[in-house]
Amino acid sequence: MSGHPNDDLHPESWPVAAANPGFAGDTGEFTQLTEDDVRGLSFVGIRPKDGGHASVAGTLPYQVAEKDPEAPIFSGPYEDRLEKVLSRYPDRQAALLPTLHMAQEVRGFLSPATLDEVAQKLGLSPAYVRGVATFYTMYNLAPVGKHLIQVCTNISCNLCGGDAVLAEFLKHAGTEVGETSANGLWTIIEVECLGACGFPTAVQINDRYFENVRPEDVPAVLAQLT
Amino acid sequence: MAYPYIHPSETRVLSKHFGEPEARTLKGWEARGGYEAARKALSMERSAVVDEVKASGLRGRGGAGFPTGVKWSFMPKKTDKPHFLVCNADESEPGTFKDRELMRWTPHALIEGLLVGAYAIHAEHAYVYIRGEFFEAAQIMARAIEEAYEAGYAGKNVFGLGVDIDITLHLGAGAYICGEETGLLNSLEGRRGEPRMKPPFPAISGAFRFPTAVNNVESLIAAAHVVLNGAAWYKQWGTEKSTGTKLFCVSGHVKRPGNYEVPLGFNFKEFIYDVCGGTPSGRPIKAVIPGGSSVPILTGDELDIGMDYEAMAAAGTMLGCGSVIVMDDTTNIVKQVRRMVDFYAHESCGQCTPCREGTTWAAKILRRIENGRGQPDDLETLLQISENMSGKTICVLSDAAAAPITSSIEKFRGDYEALMAPVPALAAR
Amino acid sequence: MAETSNAPETVTCTIDGMEITVPKGTRIIDAAAMAGVDVPHYCYHPSLSAPAQCRMCLVEVEKVPKLVPSCSGTVADGNVIHTQSEKALQAREGVLEFYMVNHPLDCPVCDQAGECKLQDYISAEGPAMGRGKEPKRVLGRDDFGGDVLFYADRCVMCTRCVRFMREVAQDERLTVVQRGSRAVIDTFFEEGLEGNLWADNIVDLCPVGALVSKDFLHKARAWDLDRTPSVCPNCSQGCNVRLETRDNQVMRIKPRPNAEVNDHWMCDYGRLNYEWINRGARIEAPLVMDGGRHVSVSWSQALTRLADALRDSTAGVRAVVSPFAANEDLGTLRRVLETVGGGTGVFRCETGEEVPLPGFPTLKLRTDRAANVAGAEAFAFTRAGGTDGTGGIDDVAGHDGVIFVLGDELADAPADFGSRATLFVYVGQFLSPAARNAHFVLPSTTFAEMEGTFTNVQRRVQRFWPALQVPGMARPAWQVLGVLLAGISEDAQVPGTAAEAFAALGAVGAGFAGLGYDDLGAMGRVLPQLGALAEAGD
Repeated sequence: MSGHPNDDLHPESWPVAAANPGFAGDTGEFTQLTEDDVRGLSFVGIRPKDGGHASVAGTLPYQVAEKDPEAPIFSGPYEDRLEKVLSRYPDRQAALLPTLHMAQEVRGFLSPATLDEVAQKLGLSPAYVRGVATFYTMYNLAPVGKHLIQVCTNISCNLCGGDAVLAEFLKHAGTEVGETSANGLWTIIEVECLGACGFPTAVQINDRYFENVRPEDVPAVLAQLT
Repeated sequence: MAYPYIHPSETRVLSKHFGEPEARTLKGWEARGGYEAARKALSMERSAVVDEVKASGLRGRGGAGFPTGVKWSFMPKKTDKPHFLVCNADESEPGTFKDRELMRWTPHALIEGLLVGAYAIHAEHAYVYIRGEFFEAAQIMARAIEEAYEAGYAGKNVFGLGVDIDITLHLGAGAYICGEETGLLNSLEGRRGEPRMKPPFPAISGAFRFPTAVNNVESLIAAAHVVLNGAAWYKQWGTEKSTGTKLFCVSGHVKRPGNYEVPLGFNFKEFIYDVCGGTPSGRPIKAVIPGGSSVPILTGDELDIGMDYEAMAAAGTMLGCGSVIVMDDTTNIVKQVRRMVDFYAHESCGQCTPCREGTTWAAKILRRIENGRGQPDDLETLLQISENMSGKTICVLSDAAAAPITSSIEKFRGDYEALMAPVPALAAR
Repeated sequence: MAETSNAPETVTCTIDGMEITVPKGTRIIDAAAMAGVDVPHYCYHPSLSAPAQCRMCLVEVEKVPKLVPSCSGTVADGNVIHTQSEKALQAREGVLEFYMVNHPLDCPVCDQAGECKLQDYISAEGPAMGRGKEPKRVLGRDDFGGDVLFYADRCVMCTRCVRFMREVAQDERLTVVQRGSRAVIDTFFEEGLEGNLWADNIVDLCPVGALVSKDFLHKARAWDLDRTPSVCPNCSQGCNVRLETRDNQVMRIKPRPNAEVNDHWMCDYGRLNYEWINRGARIEAPLVMDGGRHVSVSWSQALTRLADALRDSTAGVRAVVSPFAANEDLGTLRRVLETVGGGTGVFRCETGEEVPLPGFPTLKLRTDRAANVAGAEAFAFTRAGGTDGTGGIDDVAGHDGVIFVLGDELADAPADFGSRATLFVYVGQFLSPAARNAHFVLPSTTFAEMEGTFTNVQRRVQRFWPALQVPGMARPAWQVLGVLLAGISEDAQVPGTAAEAFAALGAVGAGFAGLGYDDLGAMGRVLPQLGALAEAGD
């Protein structure tokens, strides 16, 4: 275990409260968030940019807050990560989803030029890559705000007021569904079931789940998302 | 302990260590008897592992309820072709959140399950397809897998027993349909997650066109328990055809939502009222979806049944993945059905015409009714759309979209009619 | 059938009451076609993979609980299949209703109207009434580049086009973008299909009016077209085509299946290169040089005077022929040349880069951009000139004996071409400056106006049929030359039909001996290669 960049965030030292042992927060902590909380790093830790062990390299974005749409996708540690990912599949095409994740991690969204670059790297046709990228909802095909706020309004959350939470986010951010707020900080979208139905309303902000969000919690949450 | 609440009526097998942070680490897991199951399996004959799981009657926990051991027995005997095990951790069925908890709390239990399953089917590589939104669960799984590799519990020569089993985490990117096993395989291969026509079944031509078994997270973990303790031990719980314990995810209008593990066949009414505490307001229950949004709705009067595959089928619904959504009498059924159908319209892959067009059309009609502009023939049209969507497509997403429509019109027709325009809409314009 | 181990395994099933025996592994839809039953379908195409996604071809198979998509289900022994059962019809009616949910019903302005599978199936099996009350999705039109326009609202998402580009053209420029009812066919943003030589095949594949040809856009209604089986004249591949005509004009060329030559495909170069067939300003009457100028005369006068002149001639003969001329024309000319003591002949052919179709490599846009190069060679004409199809006839130009020109327009020839010839006979369609020196100008037909055959690059002889009216007094060259031949040779009979002209080619064409039209069949017939014939002493 030694020498791992994540040592100090190893599970044994994970700050887990007995009352709320999960990663996702209860309403109480919404007022004391740090940037790392928002991005989930306080809890699960920072992954190495090169992806760590090959078995998990394709799955673990290093969550950088500042995205650079011009940054190289396939250099330095990212190049190592791609090689590790490729080593886990019988063909290059299978690495497409992880590679798109990686490209989005670096650049924030998948522009036509980025899709083309990924296609060239994996030996696929750009049209094919576009077809795949548009099939999945997690790939941003246009720039989003600094914080991507996804409010679940599917049945379980809906029964417990998901619509009201969404409306509250929109009201306080002064924006529409799918749009980015004027200050460039928040893009708010409606999302399908996040798989946290017992903790309504579930809101995914960037990579982190916020659970049991009530309409009255929204201002405090937004205030932390700077 | 279930998460986040505990109830004395539970039978905690899979969820025993929920809420114990130390159980996430290799050290903590081994202190709790971890990796004994995997060690035992890898010391057995492969066919004996399959036979034990078959004998246990364990049925797939992903929703379809197909016996896990039987599925494994369909895999070809070892040839020179590679075999793959794929774990379906693309938990996306509305109302379902059990696999997330299993991976958050007991990542090493899943690794054990992967080792047992991969060994049983001659697979040297197991992929875990986790839905992309489960960043946290994926992080925890990743750390656990790294630990397993470091300890020699994965990769080459696992446990020094001469067996090679690689494990790879693969993140989805947001598509409910990738929970369908062939859609998942296409997604794993870097394609659009469109389900494949069967046959050929994955056991013959699966991931990368090689023989593949696709198993749910909970199924694999349960299989490890079966191998460690024996089929007879597992069959002490449940009914004759629905054996063992199962995690049930409860959401909606209940006092204590969360995951609860009870033996199959547990009384549904007792479960909702006693274990989950009934509705928070104390109001009567209007409707319950017992197995995730894809199964027919039950009314509040139909709950005195067993929570097993057969009893649910007899009641005209399905156990599905055990996702219980409770609605009290304040619920606007039409709105909730519309919300579910919106979901299926959003998640339809778009290959098959009845699903692509039918889900969207039905959602539009439902929205019109919800907004008070329904017309007298709309319900008949909805029922026919549902009929034309059922059993006509490659996968069952379109059947799933039809289920809430037909069952709600059957059981809550009055709710629809109350929303209908008082005069024919054309005349009203 | 004799029981041999080589006999293919067969299964016997019943389709709509008809018992049929087919090879094991046959798709239900194909077995039904063999039994004469057309099962409606969109996504299925015999030369593409079958994704079974349109759900249009659902049929009932007894003892199978669910309806079976007949494009992916194979026939098992003893299957009892009903394509017209109530259950199957109801399902297909339901599917057709779904297609109508977002279809714009713009048939009046749709180029596919009249040959649209949505119209056909709705008419045959669709619901009698529409129930849609909801607003329709509107996506609009997109230029896919090349000759292809995309009307997204008409699309039925069968993905034949995507699969063609992936599997056959192997240039994956099309994809399904988005999913569910938001899914739409698209290219990589502005990349389009420009530059792919095979793109127009997706217009043929499209069962509805979603993919249409810009060239054909709003040009003709499908039901006004006459369709004539033919062979593409534009390269030596010999793709089987249909000439689709209206008002005596070729409106478009469409491929006709031939598994040995072009499967279901053809290239855009061949397809779009048809305007020359419609060219006007044709020679419409036989012309004879009289007192330094051309005078139009009757055919009998022209040919009698020509026969007289030729019978008396002892001069050497040189010929220039066109590789677009039919075997019958070239062969009959060769017979004329033999009769007057032999003579050398050349042809010129424009050439270009060879472009194969990766998924069906038998099919290539061939180097030689004319249909009957192999035919010209079979009748002992030799290649001359450059890659642009010009030059190489300087020695003929100044020849002081007899010159025959067949079909070659001589556009590049000097104005004094043939001015020193004792007899200069020009058989062709257009009067170029060089042809003005001819003693006889005899109007002949293009391949589109006559019955005949071409020999393709495989040495496959394939038939074509007349699609257009003959202008004025023009006649097929084989007929003109056949009459001439009978006038100068005691032995020769005037051929009454193209078949007779063809049957008489055996003596002059390598490999043609003993062949008649009846031997050619639907797929054409491959002649032995010239090298093999030479070795055999043919």
